[in-house]
Amino acid sequence: MSTSVVLVKILEFMFVAGWVGSAVVLVLTGIEDVGTLLDRKDENSH
Amino acid sequence: MSSTSNAPTGSNRVRIVVATSVMLTFISYWRAAAVILNDLGSSAFYACGIAEQAIGKSAPWFVLAVMLFAFAVRAVYVESCSMFVRGGVYRVVKEALGGTLAKISVSALMFDYILTGPVSAVSAGQYIAGLINDTIAIADAHGWVPAAVHHLFHGTPQVGVNTTAVLFAVAVTLYYWWENTKGIEESSEKALWVMQITTVMVVLLLGWSFFTLLKVGGHLPPFPTLANIHYSQESLGFWKHSSLPHTFAILGLIIGFGHSVLAMSGEESLAQVYRELAHPKLKNLKRTAIVIGIYSFLFTGLVSLLAVMLIPDDVRTKVYSDNLIAGLAMHMIGPEVLRLAFRAFVVVVGFLILSGAVNTAIVGSNGVLNRVSEDGVLADWFRRPHKRYGTTYRIVNLIVGLQLFTIIVSWGNIYTLGEAYAFGVVWSFVFKAISMLVLRYRYKGERLWKVPPNLHLFGIEIPIGLASVGMVLLSTAIVNLFTKSIATVSGLIFSAVFFAIFTFSEKVNRRKHAHAAAQMKEQFQLQLAESVERETVGIRPGNVLVPVRDYNTLNHLRWTLERTDTHEQDVVVMTARISQYGAAAYGLSSEQIFSDYEQTLFTRAVSVAESVGKKISLLVVPARDSWSAIAQTAHNLESSGVVTGLSSKMTTAEQAFALGSAWESIPEPKRQFVLQIVQPDDVVDTFRIGPHTPTMKNEDVVLLHRLWLNITREPGLENVHHHDILTEALTRFAHDYGARDREDIVKELRRHGVDGGPLPVRRIADQIHTVQPGPARSDRDDERRDDGPSSPKVGDSE
Repeated sequence: MSTSVVLVKILEFMFVAGWVGSAVVLVLTGIEDVGTLLDRKDENSH
Repeated sequence: MSSTSNAPTGSNRVRIVVATSVMLTFISYWRAAAVILNDLGSSAFYACGIAEQAIGKSAPWFVLAVMLFAFAVRAVYVESCSMFVRGGVYRVVKEALGGTLAKISVSALMFDYILTGPVSAVSAGQYIAGLINDTIAIADAHGWVPAAVHHLFHGTPQVGVNTTAVLFAVAVTLYYWWENTKGIEESSEKALWVMQITTVMVVLLLGWSFFTLLKVGGHLPPFPTLANIHYSQESLGFWKHSSLPHTFAILGLIIGFGHSVLAMSGEESLAQVYRELAHPKLKNLKRTAIVIGIYSFLFTGLVSLLAVMLIPDDVRTKVYSDNLIAGLAMHMIGPEVLRLAFRAFVVVVGFLILSGAVNTAIVGSNGVLNRVSEDGVLADWFRRPHKRYGTTYRIVNLIVGLQLFTIIVSWGNIYTLGEAYAFGVVWSFVFKAISMLVLRYRYKGERLWKVPPNLHLFGIEIPIGLASVGMVLLSTAIVNLFTKSIATVSGLIFSAVFFAIFTFSEKVNRRKHAHAAAQMKEQFQLQLAESVERETVGIRPGNVLVPVRDYNTLNHLRWTLERTDTHEQDVVVMTARISQYGAAAYGLSSEQIFSDYEQTLFTRAVSVAESVGKKISLLVVPARDSWSAIAQTAHNLESSGVVTGLSSKMTTAEQAFALGSAWESIPEPKRQFVLQIVQPDDVVDTFRIGPHTPTMKNEDVVLLHRLWLNITREPGLENVHHHDILTEALTRFAHDYGARDREDIVKELRRHGVDGGPLPVRRIADQIHTVQPGPARSDRDDERRDDGPSSPKVGDSE
């Protein structure tokens, strides 16, 4: 395997693994966001 | 507490209180979201068009993926803000990776900022040129273009799209250059207004598009597989002749993602507005992040998808690739005139939001360069204020010069500009994410929130979420280096040149600054204070506050000192260190707040005090705008008077109105004070700030007295006082104003305003409209006085 192929493989791994982790971030923060939106305490929308 | 006795015992140094917290008027999360969306939302106008030119029809899926991923990037910003109130790229990178990498990240950020202006201005120009051409074409199709004109242009008259875009971009950039040279007033109100109009457009656009889709049908764009990604010649850059992009499916996805990443440009603004967010800060930051996330996903993401679904391929790629939303407006169902009118509305909104982004770019770049200049890595020469307007005009000139150069070199090629822009965007995100990862282990201070999930193994925290976001960004940025040759070359050259300038300037300045620091140590003693309090400054209530800015115009300070017995009443000389939205993320240390310029300014102020033989206290406050800083400081210090010089841009009445408006935004309880504006010829205008007993004309007093005489003759009303009559009159007036006679009253007052005095009619109407106790603009003393600073006893103005 040439160097560029190895580099591409590493980049692909980073991208896929990163997206999987980011999807978990999206789900977890999304659940928290729903709580934040429903919590009307201290809200000041002026 | 004086020019000579202000220092601790045994020292001749003057004590200067340096407040480290910016005096801000806090804003709600809706306003904060509007400020960010003015930048973030502008990319909807060009992001998908650029992506489709690079990778083909599946581009909307990548734009949607970018907008989804932006939620995760936002989480990184929320974590950084929960650690540093000023959690922008520079602060975070410097904290984590040190000064050199901070300079590199700032160079990349500068590339991002410098290009935001040209890409936004050129895009707005493309939308305008497209509208002109299509309107003429429609008029020609209806036979409304005279034959002579037709002959003259050898067909349907058309303007050159790129040329028009360039001319427009140059004009807009020059306009904002002049506004920033004068010192533009940033306003979240204006941002909110622009976003309200934009929201109307987005709702109409989405509603009408979905209706069209229901009526005429449409096909989803091809899914992003390797077979469906069609690279253009330019989209592969250094990999143009390589088989790699055609062989590896996931690499294809990264390339597509990299060409769409500019859709989330503007995220950095989240860190910049954090300081201005109202309590509870972190919760409001999260709310802001949710609002901008959903809004930009719907606007940029869905509009991109709908455009590809509704506009036929040949028309979209040939005519509307640079003004996709205009194309969408023209391909709805409905009468042509209605579609054209809606397109004109799209162009107006595009003009507002994109030209606003041009200004944001100049303000942001100015903030960054000011920040590094204060850090000693850019020659002080750049920060020298404009003689008339007091702005850092040399930095503005440099930024605008670079932007004009970019516009002319690209000659309206939005694709090239967008590709280069993405370089700065993605690399500043990469620096941010990596620094945040490093800070997970190095930073031991307060951290209110962390990007989830985080695993704990053998007592070591593994930040899976943060690392994941960082990996996506880093892999995309590295692939972009190969596929965006123009961006890579221009970005690297630009960043390298800026980095070299910073490094060279830093070395040159080091010796100079060491000398200046030694001088300052001899003359001044800095005392840091988190906030401005009377006790910290060491003064008594009822003091006089003298704001100063330009060391050449300290006449009002001399005037104050000559008329004040400083044994009885303290005089505080204050200067506000202004930082705008774009600069707010770049935290200032005490040395930056009290820089070379403030040193010169206070040296002159001390000279004036010494020449008069009076004591002064010195104070520096960081602030978002000078009027809020003055009002807030006067309030905190319990000042009875503020004495200022005449502004080069405002009349005395306008200055009083501005200060009065700032006073109104201070929360209750608050105290009133007297504002005196000393003009160069020592003529003084005096205003009372806050509600107070108005100055009554003699004829009004006579009328009141006559009424009192008549009324007290009535049986049973012998004990009525003058103030009872005033109360009754005002109650009736308020009733009439609130009911049937409002128009008549307003008309009458306007007439009175024109005939009766120097006050602008509009302001009187405004004051009545709000029915709020306003600044004392209507009570300007008719007689100009020159009897020294007013010093009513504390509380007697109530």
